[in-house]
Amino acid sequence: KAMCSGKLQTGLLVAGYFVYLLVGAAVFQALERTAEKQEKMAAAQMKEAFLQNFTCLTVVEMEQFMKNLTEAIQNGVYPVGNKSQTEDSNWDFSNSFFFAGTVVSTIGYGTLRPKTAGGQIFCVFFALFGIPLNIVFLHRVGKMLSLLCKKLGKFLYEKGMRKKKIKFLTLLFFLATGILVFLCLPPLFFQITEGWSYSEGIYFAFITLSTIGFGDYVVGKQPDRNYFSYYRTLVAIWILFGLAWIALLFNL
Amino acid sequence: MLQSLAGSSCVRLVEQHRSAWCFALLVLGYLLYLVFGAVVFSSVELPYEDLLRQELGKLKQRFLEEHACLSEQQLEQFLMRVLEASNYGVSVLSNASANWNWDFTSSLFFASTVLSTTGYGHTVPLSDGGKAFCIIYSVIGIPFTLLFLTAVVQRIIVYVTRRPVLYFHIRWGFSKQVVAVIHAVTLGFITVSCFFLIPAAIFSVLEDDWNFLESFYFCFISLSTIGLGDYVPGEGYNQKFRELYKIGITCYLLLGLIAMLVVLETFCELHELKKFRKLFYVKKDKEEDQVHIMEHDQLSFSSISDQAASMKDDQKANEPFVTSQSPTSNDSSLNN
Repeated sequence: KAMCSGKLQTGLLVAGYFVYLLVGAAVFQALERTAEKQEKMAAAQMKEAFLQNFTCLTVVEMEQFMKNLTEAIQNGVYPVGNKSQTEDSNWDFSNSFFFAGTVVSTIGYGTLRPKTAGGQIFCVFFALFGIPLNIVFLHRVGKMLSLLCKKLGKFLYEKGMRKKKIKFLTLLFFLATGILVFLCLPPLFFQITEGWSYSEGIYFAFITLSTIGFGDYVVGKQPDRNYFSYYRTLVAIWILFGLAWIALLFNL
Repeated sequence: MLQSLAGSSCVRLVEQHRSAWCFALLVLGYLLYLVFGAVVFSSVELPYEDLLRQELGKLKQRFLEEHACLSEQQLEQFLMRVLEASNYGVSVLSNASANWNWDFTSSLFFASTVLSTTGYGHTVPLSDGGKAFCIIYSVIGIPFTLLFLTAVVQRIIVYVTRRPVLYFHIRWGFSKQVVAVIHAVTLGFITVSCFFLIPAAIFSVLEDDWNFLESFYFCFISLSTIGLGDYVPGEGYNQKFRELYKIGITCYLLLGLIAMLVVLETFCELHELKKFRKLFYVKKDKEEDQVHIMEHDQLSFSSISDQAASMKDDQKANEPFVTSQSPTSNDSSLNN
């Protein structure tokens, strides 16, 4: 009976966490999409005007153009590429979901940023409740991982090893497998899907799992590559388990 | 990550030794570590940034010379380069050339954002050496930061929470729970106004195009260590006293992080919250007293071996806030 209620609690927690993320994604999308569309139209118009006037450009005009360009870039709008790319929104559902995940895990890449006042206020409250929720969630996921360690410890104890040695070996095992699975193997995967070098992949993996999250490397953002569906979901699962492993590691 | 503060071993260290020298050494060591990181980043990255600026300057020259009969392809190429540079925090505009991303104070700011795992991304290591160093620096520095923060927070909690609560409990005669709740809420309000509202007002004045909401948003995103990087203070054109400003912001972020953790610990020590948390963390029923006493020595290390020995499942092996409970159980067992 105790086990049943424990499972139910865990199930509810997991479900609650995903519902929270979905709700966040939907709200972000609703708040940010129109503002983004307007920015894109303005950027396209600016580019058109520039192309029409490019003969006999003065320094002042070019500076003005560059200034506008920089502002557009800082708003997350990249004035390069042809028409079809500008129709993919930065704030469609899967991107908003990814953004919600990065906020709640405190990674915060920053490639996607709420621009409207409403989006920013919502972001604050979303994070205020989402971060503790994320901690509790990761704690539970971490427990799943630690079960492996416990099994190993039991096995070694039955073989007659001393406690201290068991402690040391289980920690070593935990550390080694974690580094292999979360830091060494994914860059190989990223070499194929993103075209990064192996060291860039490690850099990205480390910056992400430590929740620093600069945003200079982000998965699924290169415009000239085809990503298979659920690519970002797979990466999100990797990030989730990796974060749980790191949190568990610090608790050891 | 910083919210799930563990460092149970360093709590032990603090409790056992309790010497001011150990603590002072830790603080000094941590500050020196930050300065060291700033120096290395600055010396590694500044040459590369200089190179990139010169390259962009030449590109601009060529653009000016060739602007007659400019084709779209050429323009696109130019824009891509501008974009790349902008992503690395380098602007092509002439009046922005005064801002360096990798002078000493900016590198210090960068190092502190890396160690606090905030990671704005407005400045990123450009060179391979910088990236590699960033990783190594963090691998050592982030546990160090956790150690540092735990030690500082444990010290502060004694003066800010435990003693006042005890004092008011004895002096006014209210029950400890009530005093603790009132104290926690008051502390929360004071922290929010000192570390969110007042700094937000200051930033909205000092930064040209930030209003109050944006400044508050920046304060929250930074102190929660999310660090999106859409707002970074001190990056405006011709910012006055930029070096001093950057140092001030670094101090603010560090102090703010400590304050957040103190408030978090205070709230976690509330009796009611402990019961609420047990809903999520404890699976099996155990008596309250046994839970408290056991948690004092709670390292997952010992618990794993104990489980192996006793072949029972441990229900609180990896509790993040277990460190906050161990001193409390000491105090409460002494006072009750």
